[in-house]
Amino acid sequence: MFSKYLDAKREDCRKLVAELKKTFSYVSVLGTDVRSTVYRADKRVSSVRDGSGECGFVVKMNDGNSFYEYSFDDVSGDVKKLAAHIIKSVKVTPSLCSRSISAAAISDEPLKKDFSRNTDFDKYSDGQLLEKCKEFSGLLLKGDEKVVNGIAMINALSVSKLFVTENRELSQHYGWAYGYLIVVYVDGKPVQAREFSGEPTISEVLVDMEAGVKKAVDLARHLAKAKPIVPGVYDVITDPSISGLIAHEAFGHGVEMDQFVKDRAMAKNFMGEYVASPIVDMHDGAAATQSVASYFFDDDGVLAHDTQIIDKGVLVAGLSDLASATQLSTMPTGNGRRESFKRKAYSRMTNTFFSAGKDKLEDMIASVKHGYMLFQTNNGMEDPKNWQIQCTAEYGIEIIDGKLTDNYVSPVVMSGSVPELLKSISMVGDNFKVIGAGMCGKGYKEWVRVSDGGPSLKVRVKLG
Amino acid sequence: MKKLIEILNGVKKASGWQITENAKTSNELFFVHEKLETVRATDTVDTLVTIYVEHDDCLGDSSFSVYSYMSDEDILNKINAAIERAKLVFNRPYKLVEGEKLVAEIPSDMNGKDKIKLAESIADAVFAAKAPEGGSLNALEVFVNDVKTRVVNSRGLDKTQTKRYAFVEAIPTFTDEKQSVEVYFSADFSNFDKDKLTEDISTKLAEAKARSVAQKPTTPMRVNVVLRADDISALLDELSSDMSYSAAYTQSDYYKIGDDICGGNGDKITLTLFGVVEGSKASSYFDDDGVALSSVTLVKDGVVTAKHGSNRFGQYLGVERPSGVLPCKALETGSLSQEKLSSEPYIECVALSALQVDVYSDYIGGEIRTAFYHDGKSCTPVTGITMSAKLSEVLKTALLSDKCVVQGSYKGPDKMLLKNVSVL
Repeated sequence: MFSKYLDAKREDCRKLVAELKKTFSYVSVLGTDVRSTVYRADKRVSSVRDGSGECGFVVKMNDGNSFYEYSFDDVSGDVKKLAAHIIKSVKVTPSLCSRSISAAAISDEPLKKDFSRNTDFDKYSDGQLLEKCKEFSGLLLKGDEKVVNGIAMINALSVSKLFVTENRELSQHYGWAYGYLIVVYVDGKPVQAREFSGEPTISEVLVDMEAGVKKAVDLARHLAKAKPIVPGVYDVITDPSISGLIAHEAFGHGVEMDQFVKDRAMAKNFMGEYVASPIVDMHDGAAATQSVASYFFDDDGVLAHDTQIIDKGVLVAGLSDLASATQLSTMPTGNGRRESFKRKAYSRMTNTFFSAGKDKLEDMIASVKHGYMLFQTNNGMEDPKNWQIQCTAEYGIEIIDGKLTDNYVSPVVMSGSVPELLKSISMVGDNFKVIGAGMCGKGYKEWVRVSDGGPSLKVRVKLG
Repeated sequence: MKKLIEILNGVKKASGWQITENAKTSNELFFVHEKLETVRATDTVDTLVTIYVEHDDCLGDSSFSVYSYMSDEDILNKINAAIERAKLVFNRPYKLVEGEKLVAEIPSDMNGKDKIKLAESIADAVFAAKAPEGGSLNALEVFVNDVKTRVVNSRGLDKTQTKRYAFVEAIPTFTDEKQSVEVYFSADFSNFDKDKLTEDISTKLAEAKARSVAQKPTTPMRVNVVLRADDISALLDELSSDMSYSAAYTQSDYYKIGDDICGGNGDKITLTLFGVVEGSKASSYFDDDGVALSSVTLVKDGVVTAKHGSNRFGQYLGVERPSGVLPCKALETGSLSQEKLSSEPYIECVALSALQVDVYSDYIGGEIRTAFYHDGKSCTPVTGITMSAKLSEVLKTALLSDKCVVQGSYKGPDKMLLKNVSVL
């Protein structure tokens, strides 16, 4: 259900826009009310608490030169006084003014619409969800005598946003649920194994977690015996999580168009050119699939898109927020996102994935003489300017003579040149999954929730 | 907050409460190619209330956020909901910090100055950097922040701390007719040394030029690798994270007290965590529970000597005076002189994608984006390589430089030499 608080603030937002329009040619107000509840249990400690939420407003203004933004807690009170305070707060010295960019006029297409996607969060009481966490924690502990702790966590996230300009008034409400299982396992040395779930409903998360208990304990047993990988260049089969990590780091960050404005992305010069194997298609968009970043409009009030980034190996489009699209004279793609109302909007990914292909996973594995299948994203790092990539998988399983062995390696760092990696893709699986449990930073800050995924891929890449 | 305290004091079903409030104002400038793209200002308050309920010989707690729009009735409803949640939680009892009072300001040479003018001065210091021909700054972000933190609880604790700090992110770039390459620079500080900032950016611009001519060396090779302060700091964060009370209490800690994590012929690590480093943005006099921060030596001469962390998990482990969550760290300098360093070939990492450290998997490594290969005679920029090693092995033989630097929350050697690392 959409935030009652934001609903009551619509008129205040309209008045604030009208007042600030006396000074600026373009004014928008974004109101956010994001609530999160975290349920957690392990062998010794449990908790039910509010998670990381936010509630506040950000005003964005433009007068044909620089953009101005002001973030604050509440829009109540004397609107004229608030508008005067905002104008004073973003005022800069004449010397700074003289360094302003020039921006084209911003379109403010009329649209009034309310969007909503239902969740099942109300079906569950705090007591039920905490009990579920305790149950999963207990099952992890019973899974093997060497499990010394089992951690289970459920997080229910409810998002309400209101966007108001002179001609536009949009509201949206949607939710997302997460489940986490962590096993601490000691067999000589301690190891940790993890299973994640991200789904639109808690009921789906609970199903995933139930299935995840055995997987997590089995994985812990294998990780306890895992060895470091011998560094080298290998044939690699990726699971959907690692495929998604490659998509995200290789050409997700690489086509965020605020980096085009800054000349920080080599992709700007490669539009229309082959950057990947011809069997590769890649998409991003809040409307491209249903996952954690499937909002209805972005933080600039632009409706959600499904953007095809790579079409049969050719780079065809980028992802933009309002500010970058204005400077590049392009249309924004619904990728303007903020860490919270307190932070700036940048061009950001949403749900990023490679499209499914035609190869069977078993055929892909069978085609590898000696290599690894990689599983579970740990982290990754982009380098859009110089097209280097680093992706870390939690673990890999050695493939010998076309068969998966029992030889686990952990962790596995995959690195190299982006075009070399993408052009090395020789098989694309018919399996497909988007995993909605990730967080993405821009550089080293500005964290937003994202999903990524795709089918299994066969690549040749450096592992270390 | 006065009203909130009155409401909480009137609630009889709770056995305790704590408020942690962070009020922040900021001025922010965003430049693209030295042009001002965005001007931002913020004025926000985060208030977190934790309710404690003693029941069934246990202590339950639950936290919630209070927003500025909330009426007294809204807050009472949140408190009652938190009481019910706390009754679902059966944790071991522990005591809140009692009675301590403090009003303090983290020293900063930026205190009292106009924030927007300060942000402009910082930007000017960055743009004053000496760029080689073809060098430029493609992007710059400057943040000047004031944060006022107050922690109050039902046991009479009331502490307030104000802090001013700045954050800079810049993208030094080098472009010639063949290519354009960049490096990354970020810094946060509570003392503004204009000349040092200009010099640091000049160095980064020179490194961007070096990256443009960097070549992939012949690999694979086994070679000594030097980490700089940022990466040493990241490594220490991983080690100290494992040495927390909470990791020990949940039995997920790898290192135990008495473990010798060096045990070879390298410099023995002595690692101390503490509250305040002069000039550091991370400095704090107390943590989120109001625990007064002093210092804890986690590792002495290579041997794990103590754990650290929050009031609650410290008490669970029977620690008489828990350290609190300590934001700064110091590593003692070692025996590595420049002369000694130069006695063998080594790769000095200028920019790693992100140092990967996994104490469980005994791994340290990462993609090296830019480095200098020193062969004893010359220094060559290199790129396109990845390092990996067993963490336990490199800690046994690591050498620490004899020169001390302060960078962010880290004070210690400016270089750490890891021996015999695999580079591909």
